[in-house]
Parts: sequence; C-alpha cells; structure tokens
Amino acid sequence: MYGRLTVIAATAIALTGCSQDSSRDYMKIVGSSTVYPFSTAVAEAMVNTNPALKTPVIESTGTGGGMKLFCGGVGVQHPDVEDASRRMTPNEFAACTQNGVNGIMEIQVGMDGVALAESKKGPKLELTRADIYKALAANPMGKPQTAKFWSDVNPSLPHTPIQVFGPPSTSGTRDALAELILAKGCKEVDPQAAKLEETDKDAFKERCQRIREDGAYVDKGENDNIIVQNLTVSPNAVGIFGYSYLEENRDRLNGVPINGVAATYENIADRSYPGARPLFIYVKKQHLNAVPGMKQFLNQYSQMWGPDGPLVAKGMIAAPADVRANSEKIIEQGITITADTLKDDELH
Amino acid sequence: MQKRIRRRYAAERRFKFMGLAAVVLSAGFLAFLLVTMLSNGLAGFSRTEVALPIDFPAAKLDVTAKQLQNRGADLALAGAGLDEVVDKAATAAFGEQGIDIISDRAWTEVREALKSDPTLLSRKARIDVPVSQDVQNALDGGGKPAMRAIVSGMQAKGLFSNKFDFGFLTSADSTDPTNVGIWGALKGSLFTMLVTLLIAFPIGVLSAVYLEEYAPRNRWTDLIEVSINNLAAVPSIIFGLLGLAVFLSFLNLPRSASLVGGLTLALMIMPVIVIASRNAIKAVPPSIRDAALGVGASKVQVIFHHVLPLALPGILTGTIIGMARALGETAPLLMIGMRAFIAQPPEGLTDPATVLPVQIFLWSDQVSRGFVERTSAAIIVLLVFLLAMNALAIYLRNRFETRW
Repeated sequence: MYGRLTVIAATAIALTGCSQDSSRDYMKIVGSSTVYPFSTAVAEAMVNTNPALKTPVIESTGTGGGMKLFCGGVGVQHPDVEDASRRMTPNEFAACTQNGVNGIMEIQVGMDGVALAESKKGPKLELTRADIYKALAANPMGKPQTAKFWSDVNPSLPHTPIQVFGPPSTSGTRDALAELILAKGCKEVDPQAAKLEETDKDAFKERCQRIREDGAYVDKGENDNIIVQNLTVSPNAVGIFGYSYLEENRDRLNGVPINGVAATYENIADRSYPGARPLFIYVKKQHLNAVPGMKQFLNQYSQMWGPDGPLVAKGMIAAPADVRANSEKIIEQGITITADTLKDDELH
Repeated sequence: MQKRIRRRYAAERRFKFMGLAAVVLSAGFLAFLLVTMLSNGLAGFSRTEVALPIDFPAAKLDVTAKQLQNRGADLALAGAGLDEVVDKAATAAFGEQGIDIISDRAWTEVREALKSDPTLLSRKARIDVPVSQDVQNALDGGGKPAMRAIVSGMQAKGLFSNKFDFGFLTSADSTDPTNVGIWGALKGSLFTMLVTLLIAFPIGVLSAVYLEEYAPRNRWTDLIEVSINNLAAVPSIIFGLLGLAVFLSFLNLPRSASLVGGLTLALMIMPVIVIASRNAIKAVPPSIRDAALGVGASKVQVIFHHVLPLALPGILTGTIIGMARALGETAPLLMIGMRAFIAQPPEGLTDPATVLPVQIFLWSDQVSRGFVERTSAAIIVLLVFLLAMNALAIYLRNRFETRW
C-alpha cells in the first residue's frame, strides 16, 4: 500500500516539476478573432504543402489581448505572430520594445469592414456616422446619453428602441468601430471635439469614443455567431461584427448602410465604405530563423491573399495591388517598423 | 369539519401535483436537449462523398510506386502537384464547376488512397472524395440556386453517397467542416482528466483522512473547514486566473498544455473531493474503528483496512462528480490558452491541446455553417464520455458498497 502511494506521489511531483523544452518546433500565433479564420486557413494550407512542418497553434484572444502576449518578450513561451484587426498602437510598440521585442514586421494581409446589420424583418435602418455616434457614445457632445429610440437621435429614423449587440473592449472590431465611425461622427457634429483631439487626447476619447454602458449596447463577447443568432430573434436590434459574418448570413441579415454606402465587397475594397479597415499580422523578426515554418507561413499568406485567392473565398477582402506588393516586399526583405511608422494613422 | 378535511386533502393533492410538474418540466428540458442534439448531431457523424474518376497514367504524376511506401510520400505527392491533378480531374468529370464541388482537401483523401494502394498509379480509378460545403448546403436544400441546379442533376445520376465519417473520430481540428475531427480534443480531455485525477484524488483523500482521523478539533481546523467549503463554491474562472499566475507566469509551464489544464482543474475540484471524502469517512460507524483499535490495530491499519474500504464508494462518487465537473469546464481553460486552433492531436502532456467543451465553443464561433452539425456531433461525444464516466462511478460504488 505504501509502495503504491509513493508511486502516486512521485508521479505528482514529477508532473509539477517538469518544465518547458528549450525549443519549440511549431509556431504560436495569437490575436484577433477576425483574422483567426484566415490564419488558420493559411496554416492548414502550409502544412498540406509542407507535410514535414507541424501545424501552428493559433489562439483567438482579441487584438488587444494578443498584443499583451506578443509583446511579453522574446523566447519559446512567447508567441511568434500576432493577428491584428487594427494597427499596433504606439503604447503597445513601446511595451514591446521595453520587453526586448526589437524588430517587428508589419504585414497587411487584407481588408475587412466593420459591418452593421439587422434582421431581414428589421426596420431597414440607414444611418450616418453622426447618428451612430449620437446613439452609442457614453457622453455625446459632452452631455450624458439620453437617447432611447433611434428617432431621438435623428427624427427621420424610425421610432424603434436603440438596441445594439457588439464586441467587447478587447476586440479589434470594437476599436475599429470607435476609430472609424464614432470618432469621425463625433468630429462631424461637435466642432469642440476636433479641437480637443489636438489638446487633450484622453478627454477626446472620453467624449468621442467611449461607448454607453446603460444597456442599450450589449457586449456579446468574441463569439460573432451569437450576435447573428440574437439578431434573427430580435428584429429591432442592430449587430456589429466583421464583414465575413454578414456575407455568410446574407439570407438572414440585411447590412445597414453607413452614410449611404452599403457594406459590400467592392465598397470595402475601394475604401468608400466608412467602416473599412486593414487587417495585419505582426511578426517577430527575432523568431524568424529560430522557429521552423515561419518563412513558409508568410510566403503561404502572400500566395493566398490575392483577389482570386482562397482567403477571399473565406470572407476576407483583398487589399489593393500596391498594398499587396508592399507587403510582399516587407516579407522578402524583412523590413521592420519603428515608432514613427505607427504614427502615420492613415489606412494604407 | 368535512369541509376542512376536504381542504386538507386538496392541499395534499396540490402539493403532490406540483412535485410531479417539477419532475415533468425537468424531464421535458432534458428530452428537448437530447432530441435537438441527436437530430442535428447525427448528420455530423456522416459526410457526403462523390465518386471522382481520376486517370493517373494520363496525369503523369512524377512519383514512383516505391516512393509512395517511403516516409517522404506526402512530400513527394505535394511536390508532384497532386492537388492540381485532382482539380483537373474534377473539372473533367463534373464540368466548369468541378473544383467547387469537391472539398478543398479532397486531394489529401486521394493522397491517402494512393499511399495505401500504390498500384493505383498505373490505372484509372474512382476515388470517393468529400464534397465541398457549398454542395452540402445545396443537398440540405439551401445554398446558392446555381449550385442547387448542378447538385440535383448529379443526384439524379447517383454520384453522391453518404458515409459514416471515420475521420471525425480520428482527426483533429480543421478550418474546413468537411474535414474536422474530434479526436484531438478527446485526447486532450483524456490527458487533462488524467493529470487532474492524479493530483486531486490523492491530495484530496489524504487531506480528508487527516482532517477526520488525526486533526484536533480547534479554531484552526474550523477555519480550514470553512475555507474548503468556500473554495468549493468559488467560480471556476478564478481558478483559471490562479492557474495563469502560478503555472504560466511563475513556474513557466507551457501555455495551452494539457498538463497546466489538468493542474488548474485539479485545484478546482480538490475541495469537492475533500468534502465528499470527509462525509464518507464520517459515515463509517465509530464502533468499527473502536473494534479494530481494541484488537490491537495501529491507527494506519485502522484507516487502510477498515475506514477507507468502507468509505470508498462515497469517496469515488465525490471524485467522479468532481471529475465530471472538470470535464465540462471551459472558463478556466480559456485563461491558460487551451482555446487554440490545434490541428494535430497532442502527443504528450506538454503538447498544445484543447478539450471537448472548448472545442465545442470554438466550433460554435465558426463562420462556415457546416460547423453547426459538427458542433452537435461533438456535444454528443462529450455526453457519451460523461455518461461513461458516470456509469463507471455507479459500477464502482455498487462493487465496493457494504451494507450493515
């Protein structure tokens, strides 16, 4: 009896004591749930053409959550690639540099749109950026939020309650909503806010980008299918998610046009749709030669991201030809970013 | 008087009826769950295949039969452009839309067929390959109208066949619903449960034995008892954060590994095991201990020869309930990175792995609609696993139960 107990105890101690191997023969990728389906498809195609490689492990943590892990440091326990549905912020870049992550390659893999959608049975809303800002901001124009119905925001809109299902604050889709739609809508209706942006960034964010927390905006987590399901049962609600979910569910959902532009492939590709945004992957150059498969992964991405490529079939929108050429150059020459690159806020 | 008696009987009947209604309601929910799962999920265990004629000699694949028996067969076939050969065969057989009819991964199916029978290289053959999700949607009565027309034409010729999908039980996650499998997650669950059991069972039972048989009753043991009861009620996500801080940040164990998942879940179910074991030990009549001590047994002999064997059914029931809870747990595992896309089953405890409930969660978030059936099928696998565990618990309990 004692012998058996000792064996169990020894196993337990051995299990807790064993630590990580000093090398890793598969890639680790973290980040955006929007880029996740594309990165998994690329990873799979890479292994099919190079069966000697192990499939990368891809975790969908949201862009913000992934950045924290990615910038945690250099070494086997830290991820090699970050999927991002927005650009890295200067703060995140600083955190990376502080933890010894020098040399990050920024590769734009494609485009996506922040789509607003409603059920087919919905009231057929047509919104402007200003309407969305007034309906969703916590403090529109510096005053507390009081709008309960869309008609409170803009008399020409129907008298239906404002009910919006959207992503949580760790999500890049939420950041894109704040930057592309709320901040721009805010500057359109509130001249003071534009001045605030130059003098006090925090006050500007508070006034223009903070989303109301009184229950009209419901955070549905990173699971976009749940938003789709909720929309089909509540016809008056509006959902916010990546374009690919709208495309896949066109038979159940209608897109809500913003500023009169519908969320379609063409409108996002030529950036006339206000919610169009770039999708990136960030790559640690320090890991490029240490982890097997990283170069193949990047090359596989560039083979698949064209307008006729398999990623478009999965719901991505191809980036314009000049952007794709630039991304290929970054992969080929291993060009890294500096703090200055990130200051340029324009989509490219 | 009569009236009051009648009222009393009526109250009795009402109470009995309410109890019955409660049972019927819960049974109804259970039946609803099972019926929807089974009706959605059974389709997830099968897949539609289409017979694809391929003329291998005409394709001039640059591989020899000998190469196909070597380890480098996969590489050789990928290098020889097998995927293009399969695409061309599909276009030749089914017309312009051919490539859209077969699954993107159809060529890997052809690859396996070639590897198992290299003589195929020298003749024409019909190989059953999985159909694409578009065709599957069309067969289910949805999808694009153009595809529906093509599919109904092919259906009339009897080109499709519906087969039990062994791949679902033997492969791991994939991006294509026609190719996914549950084995990776099932193996991850098995590894995780193994670690949990190895850690939580001995530590939990030992603590229970000490607290019941040795510990003096004072303020300290009261405090420990209250803490254990509190720990049993702590939300599981908090154990996830604990696991993240202790095992990943402090001990530097690998992220996404079933080892870390098992350790975290062991922390979570340990209080449950301690409480159940203490109650079981408490229920052993003191007369048995006194009798054993009376004939000269030592304390350790009393515990191992008399108390534990009698308490074992209760301890096992508690352990299995705890394990069942751990098996269905998702939240703490999300914190330690077990929610990743992992396309190969784990080989060891430190390999990246995922578990059944997390796999279900991941598939429920997939864009492609083919995952709905697969999600239900995965739920059925999880329920079967759970039933097997509970059946084992009942068997063990009946086997060790002693009545006096």
